[in-house]
Amino acid sequence: MQRRLSPDDAAFQQRMRTYFTTEFPADLRERWSAGGEPDPEVIRAAQRRLHEDGLAVPHWPAEYGGQDWTMLQRHIYLQEMQAASVPPPLAFNANMVGPVIAAFGSQEQKDRFLPPTASLDIWWCQGFSEPDAGSDLASLRTTAVKDGDEWVVNGQKTWTTLGQHADWIFALVRTDPDAPKKQMGISFLLIEMSSPGVTVRPIQLIDGGHEVNEVFFDNVRVPADQLVGEENKGWDYAKFLLGNERVGVAPVGSIKRRLAEAKEWAGTVSTDDGTLLDDPLLAARIAELECQVLALELTVLRVAANSREGKPDPASSILKLRGSQLQQDVLELVVDIAGPAGLRWDDTSWEGLAAPTYLNFRKASIYGGSNEVQRQVISSGILGLRG
Amino acid sequence: MDFSIDSEQKALRDAVRELASRHAPQHGQGDAPVGPATHDADTWSALAEVGALGLPYPEDAGGFGASAVEVAVVASELGRAGVLTAYAESLVAGSLLAQAGHELLGDLTEGSALVVPALAEPGRAWSLASSSVQAEDSTLTGRKGPVPYADAASHVIVPATEDGALALYLVESPTVENGHVVLDSTKATRLLDASATAGALAQAVNLGTVALCAEALGTMDAATTMTVEYLKTRKQFGVPLMTFQTLTQRAADMYVSLELARSTVQFAAMAIADNPEDSATVSRTKVVTGQSGRHIGQEAIQLHGGIGMTAEYAVGHLTTRLTAIERTYGDTRQHLAALAAGLSDHGQVDVLA
Repeated sequence: MQRRLSPDDAAFQQRMRTYFTTEFPADLRERWSAGGEPDPEVIRAAQRRLHEDGLAVPHWPAEYGGQDWTMLQRHIYLQEMQAASVPPPLAFNANMVGPVIAAFGSQEQKDRFLPPTASLDIWWCQGFSEPDAGSDLASLRTTAVKDGDEWVVNGQKTWTTLGQHADWIFALVRTDPDAPKKQMGISFLLIEMSSPGVTVRPIQLIDGGHEVNEVFFDNVRVPADQLVGEENKGWDYAKFLLGNERVGVAPVGSIKRRLAEAKEWAGTVSTDDGTLLDDPLLAARIAELECQVLALELTVLRVAANSREGKPDPASSILKLRGSQLQQDVLELVVDIAGPAGLRWDDTSWEGLAAPTYLNFRKASIYGGSNEVQRQVISSGILGLRG
Repeated sequence: MDFSIDSEQKALRDAVRELASRHAPQHGQGDAPVGPATHDADTWSALAEVGALGLPYPEDAGGFGASAVEVAVVASELGRAGVLTAYAESLVAGSLLAQAGHELLGDLTEGSALVVPALAEPGRAWSLASSSVQAEDSTLTGRKGPVPYADAASHVIVPATEDGALALYLVESPTVENGHVVLDSTKATRLLDASATAGALAQAVNLGTVALCAEALGTMDAATTMTVEYLKTRKQFGVPLMTFQTLTQRAADMYVSLELARSTVQFAAMAIADNPEDSATVSRTKVVTGQSGRHIGQEAIQLHGGIGMTAEYAVGHLTTRLTAIERTYGDTRQHLAALAAGLSDHGQVDVLA
């Protein structure tokens, strides 16, 4: 056991810190740090720049932009990126469809899709959830029927995040309605959003933002070579996509940055005898959150070292569960610090953003497998408790 | 940053695991004693034989030149087996003797002397900053307590006020009444003067706290494992309890609490090995361990049901121990207060350095 970083890792940390804080464009960091609804142009510009500098997809295979780093180095990279408010590479590209295509796609698919996916020349969105298939994802009903060398897709997806900006969607579709188990008849299909028959309808959320959408498919014709891997094996790829990572599952760097900001903000709010930071109850709550975030970060570091690369991993459920809880706890703290100033919403001040941001991130314990699903994965997958 | 343990540490773990299983309380054969433990000389000499008592002290001071990491390995195994000893107390005392360069450390590591610190006082919240015991002309007057294992101790170490500041004294064959050390112009040897006492106490209690937290980790591990096994085997309504999601979801949360504590305790051991003065990390670890221990201890009893309440079954004893550990060397409130006072010292809590 060794508490210190090795000299190599310490040098790596310094290199990342220098890059993110001095070389990466400051205006992009500032616009991201301001919060509010994400600006697609900021996301595009940031990922393009990261890709040029070899830092958009370090966890991918080296031939497509990967860096062959250790798990610890990947954690350091994310930590430094989040600490510097650098807009992260789009998760749908970098962490979802990219790794699936890299692991299961044909050579043609890799060559066609991975470079523009890494650079965000293709903006991907995710077509998994449906109105009647949320946590019970395998009940999805969107169908794809083979017609010559095309698939004909009909159905509806929902909660499609940032689908309004997307060029392509990766979708789970039912290709064998007669499969003995509902998980067995699903395929992983890549669909261009401009295809005739694709309709996107916005869903307004409680924070006032337009972040998610419904996507409708009406006889959408998709070339057969856009099915990833094997027909009817899509469920395996979806599980890989949702659970193969230990690094990056919990947004530790972002949580830590927001908690540090919360402290600064608390120091600016006057009370009858000082500032909120002098209030013993609030200070104790911040200290407690720092303890809990420390425990989470150390758990990320400890389990990352034992990662079973490429396999669905129940340990990532611990990180998803606890990461979403602490992210929500810190945002709730910010609403409390804002106090009466947070009752008026705007998108130019931290007080005005506090409540909508808090409300927005109630999503974190629902998306990507709700916390109840994560507990189910832990109890059955790790503890062997099977009802 | 590396959480893996090496082959020597594994050998130590295995030796202590074997020792602990031999000296563990026998549950299921009638009621085991409840409440605070009494000193068991056999267990103590077995710990001395495997070298556990002298691990973290420098070799030239009479120790074995290992670190808090090895201490945590030992303490976790004791906790897992439910073996209650004066390990943490001895570590605090040993660290003070080592810092004072006192020859009694040799007897402590051999197990022939049992030295414990007398830190708590009746009617006072936990504090290392002051003591109502007065020192004058190499004698002490006042009362400390409760002092765990004082009745079996050959020596106690007492912080005492001397000319308005705190100094540390060693008392041989202390007078003990109801678990309290009673000092009435009692002859004492000064270990450290006022200039060195605060720093030495902080370091010593940091080490003892890491040992306690590691013991709690082993205890939580055992409680979680027992609870999971119980959910698999206990039947009600004709089916195993694990059929009920309201129980399995709670078991999952216990496991999360356990793993958070595991990472933090292991890190704290490394941090103290690297910098014995890192009290902030120790306080954070005490908070995390206290919260995890409270959660796991309470849920372990609840998920077992009535059997968890009985003195003949082990799981309730584990909760008893977790309850005691949370209140030893500063409780969650006290450590949070200390951390809250230092909030402005840093922006973020840096782990990777």
